[in-house]
Amino acid sequence: MPKALYIDPEVTLRPQEHELKLPAIPVMKYNKTVKEEIESGRFTKEDLLRIFRDMSYIREFETMLNLVKTTGGYNGVPYNNPGPAHLSAGQEAAAVGMAYALDTDDFIFGSHRSHGEILAKGLRSIQILPEEELKRVMDEFWDGATVAVAKKAYSGNDTKELGIRFLLYGAMAEIFARTTGFNKGLGGSMHTFFTPFGIYPNNAIVGGSGSIAVGAALYKKVNRKKGIVVANLGDGAMARGPVLEGMTFASMDQFNTLWEGDMKGGLPVLFNVMDNQYAMGGQTKGETMGYTFPARLGAGFKADAMDAERVDGYNPLAVIDAFYRKKAYLLEKKGPALLDVVTYRYSGHSPSDQSSYRTKEEIEAWEKEDCIVAFGKKLIEAGVADQAALDAIRAEVNANIFECYKLAIDEEVSPRMDLVKQDELLGEMMFSNQSVDSLSDAKPDVLMPLEENPRVKQIAGKERFWLDKDGKPVSSMKSYNFRDGVFEAIVDRFYKDASLIAYGEENREWGGAFAVYRGLTEALPYHRLFNSPIAEAAIIGTAIGYAMCGGRVIPEIMYCDFLGCCGDEIFNQLPKWQAMSGNILKMPVVVRVSVGSKYGAQHSQDWTSLCTHIPGLKVCFPATPYDAKGLMNAALQGTDPVIFFESQRLYGIGEKFHEDGVPEGYYEIPIGEPDVKRTGKDVTILTIGATLYRALEAADILKEKYGMEAEVIDARSLVPFNYDKVIESVKKTGRIIIAGDACARGSYLNDLAANISEMAFDYLDAAPVVLGSRNWITPCHELEEAFFPQPSWFLDAIHEKVVPLKDYVPTSNQTVAQMRLHARKGI
Amino acid sequence: MAQVVIMPKQGQSVESCIVTEFKKKVGDKVSVGDILFSYETDKASFEEESKFEGTVLACFFNDNDEIPCLENVMVIGEPGESFDEFAPDAGAAASGTAPSEDSSQAGISRPAGAGLRGSEVVELERPQGVWGRPSPQFEGGVERSETVPGGTSSAAASPRAKRLAEKKGIDPCQLAGSGPGGRVIERDVLAAAASPLSGLAKAMMAEGGLQAPAAGSGIGGMVRGGDLEQILRCAQDDRGAQGPAATGAASGEFTVEKMSNMRKLIAKSMYNSLQNSAQLTHMLGADARKIQALRKKAKKALEEGKIDANVTINDFVCFAVIKALQKFPKVNSHCLGDSMRIFNTVNLGCAVDTERGLMVPCIKHAETLSITELSKALKQVADDCRKGSINPDLLSSEAASFTVSNLGGFGVEWFTPVINLPQSGILGVGTIVPRPKDLGSGVYAFVPYLGLSLTYDHRALDGGEATRFLKQVATEIENLEIDF
Repeated sequence: MPKALYIDPEVTLRPQEHELKLPAIPVMKYNKTVKEEIESGRFTKEDLLRIFRDMSYIREFETMLNLVKTTGGYNGVPYNNPGPAHLSAGQEAAAVGMAYALDTDDFIFGSHRSHGEILAKGLRSIQILPEEELKRVMDEFWDGATVAVAKKAYSGNDTKELGIRFLLYGAMAEIFARTTGFNKGLGGSMHTFFTPFGIYPNNAIVGGSGSIAVGAALYKKVNRKKGIVVANLGDGAMARGPVLEGMTFASMDQFNTLWEGDMKGGLPVLFNVMDNQYAMGGQTKGETMGYTFPARLGAGFKADAMDAERVDGYNPLAVIDAFYRKKAYLLEKKGPALLDVVTYRYSGHSPSDQSSYRTKEEIEAWEKEDCIVAFGKKLIEAGVADQAALDAIRAEVNANIFECYKLAIDEEVSPRMDLVKQDELLGEMMFSNQSVDSLSDAKPDVLMPLEENPRVKQIAGKERFWLDKDGKPVSSMKSYNFRDGVFEAIVDRFYKDASLIAYGEENREWGGAFAVYRGLTEALPYHRLFNSPIAEAAIIGTAIGYAMCGGRVIPEIMYCDFLGCCGDEIFNQLPKWQAMSGNILKMPVVVRVSVGSKYGAQHSQDWTSLCTHIPGLKVCFPATPYDAKGLMNAALQGTDPVIFFESQRLYGIGEKFHEDGVPEGYYEIPIGEPDVKRTGKDVTILTIGATLYRALEAADILKEKYGMEAEVIDARSLVPFNYDKVIESVKKTGRIIIAGDACARGSYLNDLAANISEMAFDYLDAAPVVLGSRNWITPCHELEEAFFPQPSWFLDAIHEKVVPLKDYVPTSNQTVAQMRLHARKGI
Repeated sequence: MAQVVIMPKQGQSVESCIVTEFKKKVGDKVSVGDILFSYETDKASFEEESKFEGTVLACFFNDNDEIPCLENVMVIGEPGESFDEFAPDAGAAASGTAPSEDSSQAGISRPAGAGLRGSEVVELERPQGVWGRPSPQFEGGVERSETVPGGTSSAAASPRAKRLAEKKGIDPCQLAGSGPGGRVIERDVLAAAASPLSGLAKAMMAEGGLQAPAAGSGIGGMVRGGDLEQILRCAQDDRGAQGPAATGAASGEFTVEKMSNMRKLIAKSMYNSLQNSAQLTHMLGADARKIQALRKKAKKALEEGKIDANVTINDFVCFAVIKALQKFPKVNSHCLGDSMRIFNTVNLGCAVDTERGLMVPCIKHAETLSITELSKALKQVADDCRKGSINPDLLSSEAASFTVSNLGGFGVEWFTPVINLPQSGILGVGTIVPRPKDLGSGVYAFVPYLGLSLTYDHRALDGGEATRFLKQVATEIENLEIDF
């Protein structure tokens, strides 16, 4: 809601035009012959033969995998590949056509059916990379381990020929889960990629790349990097919300209306639909979709319909022609663009799919049009080659595939990780755990010196401890609070790291829905801080793409409950890519998630447990300004994805524990270290998030009325988590209550309790007690005290399950019998 | 569908019944109206008729078991049907469904330890709360510290309480739990172990690093600063540290000697005895004229070669004690906390002072021995102890059913011997001193009296019975008739 954009009722209510005109979308317009293309000088004969060769490589590669899956071997050499194989035979012209127009600086993202795209882009990059550069890439990759094996398949001195073996072998080894594969065998068929060739991750989640690729384009734009980004998506992915959200995000008006200077203009991203007619067994046109052609979607997102076109994906030259035009369009900062590339998938969804949903006649009819055969004929017609020359190319291609195949299945030269013997190996790969001040060499784009920032000046006048010099509580206006802590860490990083950007719903003028970012608007240009559409999948998905390419980013989810809207991005994408890439990618994404209260069932849930459950995420939930600043600094200094929870109950709270006040300078609190907020000897209370303050109230009552001294520990971080202090405390007290605002069932609270039981069993005087919220909907604010753990609940639970308190009358039912009853009822 | 037979509830106040006899065994065919088992309450006897037709698939109890009312007792159905689900509880199911044919064996927790033969043991009471099911109560002849789950309310102890209890030498099962559901928690063990602390001791404790002993050297077991210093010194000595206490040793005020293993064993055993039983001592004098006369006769007989043993006063006393024990079987027993082990034979323990410390060897089946045989046996085990060649089995506190400790030779008149648990009593024998005695008709004379000090475990015996036993010992001593 920028003030610069005036919503004029005159224009809005009484427009000049009374029709919304949609541009016409071209369909199959390319009609040049090979001869014409040669004559126009676009292609040499060698180029055309190379196109033929590259298509042949893809066809044989997929044929090999299909034979391995269906016959248990290839060319008489048996091999069992238990992993997936989603093959793209039939789609070669679309893949090679796409890659032909791209430079190494142009990135492609793919789907679960992307072997062809990888090979096409790889072959193209090998062709255009300077030999020295290609050699360096291969020699440096896995310290030369992959190229060393590839050399066994090629004894000549031609670097590019070696490059082809490197590509074929690296991809095969990855598909067969070998350590010499492009991702150490940890990605497999659906995630194979090789960034030095501009090949970015493929994605086993249909449409997963739809928002990630947009983030990569955002990275290129904000960090002034060369090249465009292609999101290769199937026609089936056009139904996926994250794809539509990605298109929405990429089409935002603000790129043209609000972003300034060289940042003005659209994102360089092309949504490239490999329109192979099928989504699993569903037929998109005529059955599962209603768009006639995927190209229609362009009209839904942008006035120029994303310059959408439907092109003949059975003719590589038609695809190349379209790509040249789209690339130019994107480089003119008019993006995003949309291409609908018509093609056909010969094989089923996977080798186990018997194609029961289509006729033999249909497949045969398309095979008659086979893109490789047809292109070969055209080459012969144009006099580029004779049949014998084409046959020779195919024979050479097949021989090279076979050589690489034999190497890729050889246990000696292509070993797998031994995760049984080296049982910590994969664990060590889950996080990159680096400490990096800045991920960019550039000077950060800022609008003013930090000390002139109004928010910075305002904070300077605040007391950084909740009590003043005389020990009296400071008024809330003058008290440095939680949101100040988060702000200081973030603004500091904005001035250190040019790659850092932040966005979310209401992140700019509003200063975030909870005013954490107040002051950032003045400090930062639009391209570093902007409002996103209300599209959580795109907010997180783009952040993932941005980080994959090397930038640091803080996406914001305004309410924890909205994590459900970006479930795939938070659970399937963000946590997985570091390990799944063989640690090639880093994921410096700090997702700020605000945990609500007062707003009922869909705005007041603590879903920390969902995030702790997914391996690969770090999870923080600070409860004090000091911890918030220190943990945010640590999160922003790192290279791992951090889900940073903030409680809306606490944004205004002052620092009550760190007696020296929150330091003005930079400091980090290591993620994973709980903090003893109050010492005691009789019972330990371990809390997550805002529950800390209710635990302290309970501790006060315990002391005043029952003479019990509670030791209160604030978890601060959930993943990782160092149990040392907790176990030390339990050894002392023998008793522990673990409390948080998450619904108790299935929560991380139970995880903590179970682990503490195992780690300190002999020291326990009672089983660890979990105090979570009821397993209900969160009721409205007026009824909340029956839902969230209250101070009295701590005493009730202690009385019923730990140590009976003298003359105590419980207010809530915290008995084991009640637990059993509730469990039986599922509540 | 298998049918379950429950123990009927006979009246409002009846909580359990005892099965006097199972008339049908597993595998028997039964018809409606057949008598399945007879049972009784404290007031009346009953018979349970079968309401079902079929085969007895399972019987979860044995004759003479006490069974809670409404508890599942038997299962009747067609062979092959499952019945595990009817077992009174999962723990009992495995052993309960297939009771031994020999009902005298089944259901009895048979001690398998040293010196305990099946024929010597009669189980007086079922372990509390176990209801006659085979009990793991004293596997290997050693009492387990855990009580059986589902037993008394104090059955459960927290891991922390158990750990502390072990450290303090306290049986958590003996404590009344103050935790939720009566669970024994740490504070219960601490309370049990707590002793009053002197001001200095409190101050020292407050500094930390010290664990107060269960009892101190002050009045009423008050822990004094000196006790803590002692502990500190020992601890530092263990660590070889040169602390302030160690300088005392350096200046020659004292030396620190490690306890021998023997000493440690005795210490632990004596300490446990006092911690884990309810001991008190009765003292009674016995007219010793008779045994003094017997002693003279025996000496003469030895000199004359009529006998080959030097029968001592102590031998005569032991002989008399054995006779008395046979008349008081409950004294000749082990107290197991919630059951008693009553011996049908007298395995007499006899305290022997050796260079290595106190040892208590045992004479098995002492009631079968003549006075000379007993005398020789007592001499033999004492010699073996001093030589160290004693059979260790005979030294086990489980081996003896009762112990005699004689300090008369040292001039001690009375003392309070400490019971060798799990035995129920120990008799301390003092020296003989002349005491005035009313001989009747106003005539008083000094008569030699032998001091008898009986320490007994009040858990096992009441004062009346203990007194009657002690009196019996005196009577036996005073009326001992032996021909040489």
